[in-house]
Amino acid sequence: MVLASAVREYINRMLQDISGMKVLILDSHTVSIVSVVYSQSELLQKEVFLVELVDSISLSKEPMSHLKAVYFLRPISENIQYMKRQLASPRFGEYHLFFSNILNNTQLHILADSDEREVVQQVQEFYADFVAIDPFHFTLNATSNFMYMLPAVVDPPKLQHFCDRVVDGLAAIFLALKRRPVIRYSGTSDIAKRIAQEATKLMYQQESGLFDFRRTEISPLLLVIDRRDDPVTPLLNQWTYQAMVHELIGIQDNKVDLKNIGKVSKEQQEVVLSSEQDAFFKANMYENFGDIGMSIKRMVDEFQQVAKSNQNIQTIEDMAKFVDNYPEYRKMQGNVSKHVTLVTEMSKIVEERKLMLISQTEQELACNGGQGAAFEAVTNLLNNESVTDVDRLRLVMLYALRYEKDSPVQLMQLFNKLASRSPKYKPGLVQFLLKQAGVDKRTGDLYGNRDLLNIARNMARGLKGVENVYTQHQPLLFQIMESITKGRLRDVDYPFVGNHFQQARPQDVVIFIVGGTTYEESRSVAIQNATNSGIRFILGGSALVNSKRSFLKDLEEAQRVARSSTSVI
Amino acid sequence: MATRNRTSQFSKYRDTLNGNRVPVTSSSAFGGPVIEMAPLFHRSNGSSYAPLSTEDPGPSSRDAFTVGLSPDWVDVSEEVASSIQRVRIKMAELVKAHAKALTPSFGDSREDQHMIEALTQEITVLLRRSEKSLQKLSARGPSEDSNIRKNVQRSLATDLQNLSVELRKKQSTYLRHLRKQKEGHDGLDLEMNLNESKHRVEDEEFTDQGFNEHQMGTLKKSELFAAEREREIRQVLQSVNEIAQIMKDLSVLVIDQGTIVDRIDYNVQNVASSVEEGFKELKKAERTQRKGGMVTCATVLVIMCFVMLVLLVLKEILF
Repeated sequence: MVLASAVREYINRMLQDISGMKVLILDSHTVSIVSVVYSQSELLQKEVFLVELVDSISLSKEPMSHLKAVYFLRPISENIQYMKRQLASPRFGEYHLFFSNILNNTQLHILADSDEREVVQQVQEFYADFVAIDPFHFTLNATSNFMYMLPAVVDPPKLQHFCDRVVDGLAAIFLALKRRPVIRYSGTSDIAKRIAQEATKLMYQQESGLFDFRRTEISPLLLVIDRRDDPVTPLLNQWTYQAMVHELIGIQDNKVDLKNIGKVSKEQQEVVLSSEQDAFFKANMYENFGDIGMSIKRMVDEFQQVAKSNQNIQTIEDMAKFVDNYPEYRKMQGNVSKHVTLVTEMSKIVEERKLMLISQTEQELACNGGQGAAFEAVTNLLNNESVTDVDRLRLVMLYALRYEKDSPVQLMQLFNKLASRSPKYKPGLVQFLLKQAGVDKRTGDLYGNRDLLNIARNMARGLKGVENVYTQHQPLLFQIMESITKGRLRDVDYPFVGNHFQQARPQDVVIFIVGGTTYEESRSVAIQNATNSGIRFILGGSALVNSKRSFLKDLEEAQRVARSSTSVI
Repeated sequence: MATRNRTSQFSKYRDTLNGNRVPVTSSSAFGGPVIEMAPLFHRSNGSSYAPLSTEDPGPSSRDAFTVGLSPDWVDVSEEVASSIQRVRIKMAELVKAHAKALTPSFGDSREDQHMIEALTQEITVLLRRSEKSLQKLSARGPSEDSNIRKNVQRSLATDLQNLSVELRKKQSTYLRHLRKQKEGHDGLDLEMNLNESKHRVEDEEFTDQGFNEHQMGTLKKSELFAAEREREIRQVLQSVNEIAQIMKDLSVLVIDQGTIVDRIDYNVQNVASSVEEGFKELKKAERTQRKGGMVTCATVLVIMCFVMLVLLVLKEILF
């Protein structure tokens, strides 16, 4: 809640002191930032009668001096260029400029220079530079996310661009929270180290005045880790509601696009899945698929009862009551159809791709099971005709990640089989993954088989049995959070930047995953926060990852770029 | 939540840079651009619909600046806004009138009824008129202007919708109280009747006629009372129906909260695509108009008429 309310507060403050009809101008990033926390009807209440993007507003030349322009942009060079042109020939009566991050003096000069007509009334920095999708989860929607996988020599400016975006986002988070953190990072990851160091430089040296807040006893902790420490979670198929929708269909800024999925009615082609606005979703977003079915059935029954009573209109009084309740009825109807459509489409996909069968093997590969049985299961599934290419690839990857060092012969057999059957996937992608995220590259104990304590814990869990085979996996993040809660996060694995150190347990922890977070991980965070352990965790990532559309795509992109760069060099 | 104000630094830069620059034109004598003052309208709930920036806080060198007259649809929107304000005031009065009418008093009830009827009628008329004017705001063809108008329309429609809902709620509470009262009176009458009949049975001879008269009198009175209440209820229900109609019409304009239509990014995408399409449509329309199929048709017909007329005249002359 704290993230979303911070962004809302910023937007409220932007609009409240400006009277009269306004036009709000955003760029492609800030439009996501604003849309997840503010609705169109709320904007209308604040007299904002037009919302446009900064690049399209320059197309029209029609002057509208009865409107006041409120700009909310990221302080990047393209936006400054647009502003320069628009200030030179202003269309609106007044200009109020808000930037989502720190403006440097050069940019300020350029703006001042182009404001010949002196239409600019204020220039402010309002640090809402992140997309607050869930109460404890944010993302940065970074472009070229795949750059994190590549060494710096491949494309230094692009990597610098990516790092800058991440550091800006982190700075904005802490400015919005008004705290200055102690920073730790994942020891084996160069990019995590780089980002941690650049963030420290920004917060403690370059802009130390800005970050000089009233110091509380215990500083919060910022932990920067690498997606490649846990490559298993994004590859797994998901069975809890929010994670499942993202995995099978795809959620972008809390919106689901159903246009390409199947035949859906016009109103349901694009829907909103937001825990703030949808009470049913809030109650069920972390429940597994079976329980969802039951809840939806209950919701449909309730709705049918209401609908039936609405049809039974006999007296004028009944009609009056119907009209009274009509808005509620309509809202309920929309909500019910939305969830029914989602679950229906997902069931279809599960059926087509035989996901229940595949997922069982996946979970075995991720959690327990012996190597021999795993090899057999994977081979069988590879031979199965109805398994799609992407699922085959995922299975082999999961096997490779786990049994990297055992029995290389069998691993090679699987590679060959994959190559022979899945022509779409370029060979070597699995090997590339191993090079990126193999056991030597990872921090932390992904499979719980390095540390004696973890082995014992796994054995105990195996003996106890699991409630649900499909949701037995727990992301590495869960262990990290546990270690932090117990104060046992090892310095060797997660060193501090510079000479920071932390005496006691922190009360606020922001965990940032370079490369992206998954909804399964945000679910772990939500569950952890609900246990009221005294520590509040916030999770963030440079993107929101699911297996096909993001993680595998990033891998492919990175592989392509790496290949082309080595061929050049 | 931290923020940082760069305005002072910005103004400093701007002033130094502007000082170095040769001024574009000499600053105007008025000390400000010529702005047409549209009537400023303030809503008592704090927000204002001031369409123009009538204040001029910055230094006055915007002379060559093209000043816009506020478009006339802004007047329509202001009108609707003022009607909404009036409706609010009237609703407050209506609440008072309702309360007064419900306090039991037999004689003056006619007056109270009239007042309530009049107020309800006024409010309904205002709402209906506002709704009709709201329709006028919609513009054809996608453009930036039409989007603004659509959004203004939506905002006003939401306000009207909320007012209608409020009115309905107040009416239904009033109705409920009325009904309770009516039953109460009927019950009372029944009791009275029972008592009377008991007495009647007891004292038949002497007091027969007297009681009959008395009884008839009370009966008539309670009948009248019941009929009156019946009429009131019917009237209130009728206005309820009217309001229902208004609400139905408005619901097309009002945004459903929580749906995709309420998302800013969805609306921005649609604007972008529709503005492009609008350009294309406009160009196409221009082309077809120039070809002017209609115009050629009309000219041909006129020529034909002329020819026929000439032939007719010729026919007359020759024969």
